Amino acid sequence: MSEKPAGNAGERSPHVLEIKGLDVTYSTSRGDVKAVRGLDLAVRRGEILGIAGESGSGKSTLAVALLRLLKPPGQVTAGSVLFHPAGRSPVDLLKVDGEELRVLRWSALSYLPQGSMSSLNPVMRVEDQFKDVILEHAPARKASLGELIPRLLGQVGLEPRVARMFPHELSGGMKQRVLMAIAVALEPDLVIADEPTTALDVTIQRVILQSLADLRTDFGVTLMVISHDMGVHAQLVDRVAVMYEGRLVEVGDVRQVFKDPQDPYTQQLIESIPKMGRRAS
Amino acid sequence: MTAEAPPAEVVDKVPEPAPPSGVRAWMSRHPLAAYAVRRFGLYLVELWGALTIAFFFFRLMPGDPIQTLIQSLQQNYIYNQQASAEIIARYRAEFGLDGNIFSQYLVYMKKLILHGDLGPSLISYPTPAQDVILRSLPWTIGLLGISAVLAWILGVVFGAIAGWRRGKLGSRIMTNLSIALSHVPFFFVALILVYVFAYTLGWLPARSAYDSNINPGFSLDFIASLLKYGLLPGLSIVVIGTFSWILSTRMLMVPVLGEDYLVYAEAKGLKPWRILTRYALRNCYLPQITAFGISLGFIFNGNVLVEQLFNYPGLGTTLVTAIQQLDFNTIMGVTDIAIFSVLTAVLLLDLLLPLLDPRVKYWK
Repeated sequence: MSEKPAGNAGERSPHVLEIKGLDVTYSTSRGDVKAVRGLDLAVRRGEILGIAGESGSGKSTLAVALLRLLKPPGQVTAGSVLFHPAGRSPVDLLKVDGEELRVLRWSALSYLPQGSMSSLNPVMRVEDQFKDVILEHAPARKASLGELIPRLLGQVGLEPRVARMFPHELSGGMKQRVLMAIAVALEPDLVIADEPTTALDVTIQRVILQSLADLRTDFGVTLMVISHDMGVHAQLVDRVAVMYEGRLVEVGDVRQVFKDPQDPYTQQLIESIPKMGRRAS
Repeated sequence: MTAEAPPAEVVDKVPEPAPPSGVRAWMSRHPLAAYAVRRFGLYLVELWGALTIAFFFFRLMPGDPIQTLIQSLQQNYIYNQQASAEIIARYRAEFGLDGNIFSQYLVYMKKLILHGDLGPSLISYPTPAQDVILRSLPWTIGLLGISAVLAWILGVVFGAIAGWRRGKLGSRIMTNLSIALSHVPFFFVALILVYVFAYTLGWLPARSAYDSNINPGFSLDFIASLLKYGLLPGLSIVVIGTFSWILSTRMLMVPVLGEDYLVYAEAKGLKPWRILTRYALRNCYLPQITAFGISLGFIFNGNVLVEQLFNYPGLGTTLVTAIQQLDFNTIMGVTDIAIFSVLTAVLLLDLLLPLLDPRVKYWK
């Protein structure tokens, strides 16, 4: 295990995640590209934190780096990510490896990918994709699976029979909900959601956002929501962090940021939201 | 869908297909049975087509089998005068060579389908060709069947590991070795094996299928002898087969490893072995099942030479002898058996696929 948080080791930290000086670099044949530069950010327990920014701003790289899913040529070159799971000692996510990291996954740190991606195994029934992760990290729940899976599906507004279906039998919105239900199956401390509403019908986007907000209420999870869509942040998050060219340009209460953006880039992002009565050309 | 946000229940409904009628209703209610019926119909058409082509193809061969028979009888002094036209005509009728080619075809197909009769063998006259074939068939099924299945299993397992550990030294060695060895012909490996293990080291026998001093039967000695004699011919098929399966499995595995569900499985914190078997391999071995059926035909070709080389009393040896003697009915019989077994294997594997892959659906 890595270092303890400053001073009070036993007491519960108000933060779930403390990112300090994070640098992520992609090494290419034409030199290194820094996708995340010196990022400092703390995620408070129980909040929904939004990460905003345009394509290429480094927000998805941040997500995969935090989830330790970064693949070469991507590489974390500096910084620390202190994670405070409830009931466990704090760990630096960037320093754990192998079995230690595997045990931490899902029960403490889970991932909600974009539903339009093929994140569900096409040849496994939905229920089996719940089962494998639950039995891996909480084998004691084997007996209650028959009750647990329909309850989790119900939580995101899906019928119990979805459990017997295969991913190709689900619509994009249904897949997104299945992924949401799997993400909270083990009541993790932190869920990192990467573009949870992108590539969905606008009407379904609205429903998904509502379900995400409900998950926080029902499960008390902390959510980190990465989205390029400022509308998502306006509707869902408590605080928003704006990234531009790998740097954090602004963090603050979502109302405050929308009402009075400090950084010129944030202003541009907010102005980019289409408004009724204003034509593009 | 309207512009308004629909309530959640509406979104979740799976669209029910409209109730169809008649045959289509039965087909959509029993998709697997409907598929099996259609697939079996196709099988019958394929079988008929292939047997017909084989028949006409062999009738185009130059040479007169009856003249050959008469000649061989003369050589053996069994028949020492010029054959009379009557006797030749009798032989022609018996071998199914009288009348024009279409009536020959009809007689041949009728005998084949109704009685399983292939006509008399020329070499072992008057023994029917099917008896000659049935005598050698178990040897080939034993040798070819076991080695083909073994090569497939080994190839898929090692290919999956080679793909999983791509970039690592062991995997690179295995891949390059497979590229080099998968196109070496069976008989070449067989020659090397014979040279090393039978000729130089003298460990294993290089000829026949069992020790002729042991009586065939269900005794331990006989089975041990079978294995000992079958090892070299079997190995020559397994070695090359395994390498080509390794190569193709690795090729199917690598793109699967880049899929989103593999990243998701890793994020789930599943054990690597479970990710390899339930997520990666489970999604890439299905095409290999179909490929296995098709490969049986190719292995059969290679097997002919391997059997000949080891003097193994299987179909391959029978076929070569039959071709040398222009034993018409046996040549066609062996070809028919090969057609039948490859088509049947592909049929069975195709029927197996929908049970293995939930995405395979068979109604339109």
